This record gives sequence, C-alpha cells and structure tokens, in this order.
Amino acid sequence: MKSLKQITIAVIAILFGSALMAFVMPQDQKKAGPWEIPEKYQKMENPYAGDKSLLKIGKMLYSKHCKSCHGSKGLGDGSKAAQLETFPGDFSSDEFKKYSDGERFYMTYVGRDEMDSYEKKIPDEEDQWAVIMFVKSL
Amino acid sequence: MKKYLVLILVMFFSFGLITAQDEEAPKKKKDRPVRSMFESSVLIDDQTSVIPVKNTLEMHIQHRFGVIKDNGISDLFGIYAPSANTRMGLNYSILNNLMLGYGITRINNSNGKMISDFQVKWNILQQTRKNTIPLNLTLYANMAIDGRNKDLYQPDTANLDYQFANRLSYFTQVMVGRKFAEWFSLELHFSWTHYNAVSAVIPNVEGYEHDVMGVGGHMRFKFSPQSSILIMYTAPIFIKGMAENEVVLNNWYSNFGIAYEVATSTHAFQMFVTTASGIIPQDIYMYNNSQWTKTEIRIGFNITRLWNF
Repeated sequence: MKSLKQITIAVIAILFGSALMAFVMPQDQKKAGPWEIPEKYQKMENPYAGDKSLLKIGKMLYSKHCKSCHGSKGLGDGSKAAQLETFPGDFSSDEFKKYSDGERFYMTYVGRDEMDSYEKKIPDEEDQWAVIMFVKSL
Repeated sequence: MKKYLVLILVMFFSFGLITAQDEEAPKKKKDRPVRSMFESSVLIDDQTSVIPVKNTLEMHIQHRFGVIKDNGISDLFGIYAPSANTRMGLNYSILNNLMLGYGITRINNSNGKMISDFQVKWNILQQTRKNTIPLNLTLYANMAIDGRNKDLYQPDTANLDYQFANRLSYFTQVMVGRKFAEWFSLELHFSWTHYNAVSAVIPNVEGYEHDVMGVGGHMRFKFSPQSSILIMYTAPIFIKGMAENEVVLNNWYSNFGIAYEVATSTHAFQMFVTTASGIIPQDIYMYNNSQWTKTEIRIGFNITRLWNF
C-alpha cells in the first residue's frame, strides 16, 4: 500500500514537473538561418522581367500554392504558418527585399527543409518567374 | 579598276553574311500548353483531360451518399444512409500526357458489387497559350472487373456458364475541350460502354443491353484563384433500331451534377449534388436508376491529392 502511495506521488510529481517545463521550453518558431545559394542562382536573371502581365498570373499561382503559409500579403501569417517549426519569412521586410531574382528562384524551386521545392508543382518556367515577380511586388 | 571591283565584291558578301546573322538571331518562343484547364482528373462523375505533370501520383477518394429526399433529416439527407458508395483510386503520370490508374469501388445496389478498374488516359493534343493548337483532345479508356463472389455472381448472368470474362466491362471515351478564358473551361465527350455479361429474362428478347453510347460535357466557372463552380451532364444514347433485345430493361437515365470546388497546391476538393449513385463511368451510363427531374439526387464529394516524385 505504501508503494502505491509512493508511485502516485511520483506520477503527480512528474506531471507537475512536465507542466512547469512547458513554461521553460521555447515556444516560438525558429528564425530561418541564412540560405546557402549557389553562384549560378545568385547571377540568374529573370528572362521575363518587365512583362507586367505576368503579375496577375503570379498572384493567381501564389494564392493557390503559397498563401496558406506565407499569407495573402507575404507577411508569413498564413493559416498553416503557425504549424511550421520555422517562421516562413516576411516578404515585405528589408532583409528579404535584398535577395536577387535568382536567389528567390532558388529558394522557391530548389528549397530546403520545410520550404518544399515547388518545381514540380509549378512546372512551367514562365509561371515560375511569374510567382517570383508577384512576391517581389508585395 | 580590278582592285575596286574586288573590294566591292568583298563588301557585298560581307554585308550578306552580316544580314544573314541578324536574321538568325531572334529565337522563336515555343508555344506551351495552357495553364490548368481543370484542377483534377475527375470532375464530379466525369473524367477531365487533366493529367498531372510526369512522375506525379494522384490519389482519389470519392463518395456518393444516399438519395437526399428518401429519409430527409433522419439520415442527415442521405449522408448516413447505408447505400453510400465509395471509390479509392491511384493514378500515376508516366509521361506529361499519359496516365495509368487503378481504383476499387463499392457499389451498394441490390447485389453489392466490389469493382476494380484499370484505366489509361492520353492527351493526344493539348491546347496551347498562343492558339497554335486551339483544342484539347484526350482519350480515356478503362476495364473494370466485377469482384463479387462466384456464387453471388451467377444470378446476374442467367443462362450463362461461369467464365472470368463475364466479369469484365469496358468504357472508352474521347474528349474535346477548350479553356476559353481563365474563368471558363468547357469539355465535350463521346463514349462507348460495353459489358461482357448482362442480366436477361429471355436472352435476346427481354433483358439488359451489352452496349451503349453516350454523350456529355462538363464546364468550370472559376471565380477566385482557388474556387470554382463545376457543372456536368451525361446521357446515354439508346438507338432502338440497334438494340439486341425486343424489351430493353435499362432505364437510360441521364446524369447531372453541380459542384463547388476548392483547390490548393496539392489538393482538390469537390462537394456536389449528383443524380447517379455509381462512380465508375460504365456503371453510370448503363445502370443509372435515378432522375434529376424527380429530385432523386444525392450529396457526394471527391478528394484529389497529388504527390510529386
């Protein structure tokens, strides 16, 4: 009987300890580390730059493929964003605006970790650049 | 004089070379297929011309519930009716214009069939953005195997000795479609259905037909990047002069459906009301027993999920 009481106390102590640990453990999403982008992509240029008609296409594709994580204005506040381990980034921030077209292309169509490659989901090259152009306009 | 003549000739040919190089310089841009005409390879009860990009696995989960008006609120408008039908299927795009697939369907009619279907879809022509090719042309074919137990299978094939071939049915369809605008796509199709074995009271006198042709079409009204309204209509074409029976037992009812579709990067979700209880096309063309005009309609949904490899 004594051992049952000891076990009960031990279980309560573990549960109480776990509950306290929840306050100590980090709850926030990780901030994404720096991207290692190959030189080829750093120098890559957008062959469709200047074609404003692609912005509408880019917006349509962004809504379908990107909005759920990145949010409608690219602030990283989409409906699925909270489930990610890493903050998906704020496209309107100065930090993101410094990326070149080619670097954005690498991030989107090669990707890493939770940011999947969208090359197969958006297979057409013109459509791929249309998304890059729309993201840049945010 | 001779020197000047040579100089003039050299300059002339040089100019010719320069001109030739200039003419070669601009590259012709390749005309590419239009962006997605529909979001899934199925549209309510119809097939579409959509074939996902090469090396994509497409999964379908399709449900057709009971008739809405039969029990009303008692079975939540047919959603909890015991007669619900289900199909689960997998398709794989082996090329950008060729897809193979397999599906298994439960059809809760009086016999309770489990049907396996093997299918192939081929985009012969794809509409292009600059109208070099103005239309989509697609072929779809399937072969279905009625998987009922042998002893249950016999009553349906009266006066026939059991053969595996009696379980087979075939459906072939040719589709022609066009994406008229970003918000509107339309596809029309013609089909042929064949069942190897059908029920008969007196063979070749009174019974079901082995073959039927069909026509139909479906359209999409896309009103936001992710949302669309879909409409579908199909009808069997029965020509009495070509019938094999004097008294034909098939009902030959047409099928109508209207859906709301939401599509994301890897999913398409269609919620709809439709007439037919069947899911595979030959079953719908040959054995649909419900009529839209009598409000014999049911709720259904299709879920499509894509994985790229």
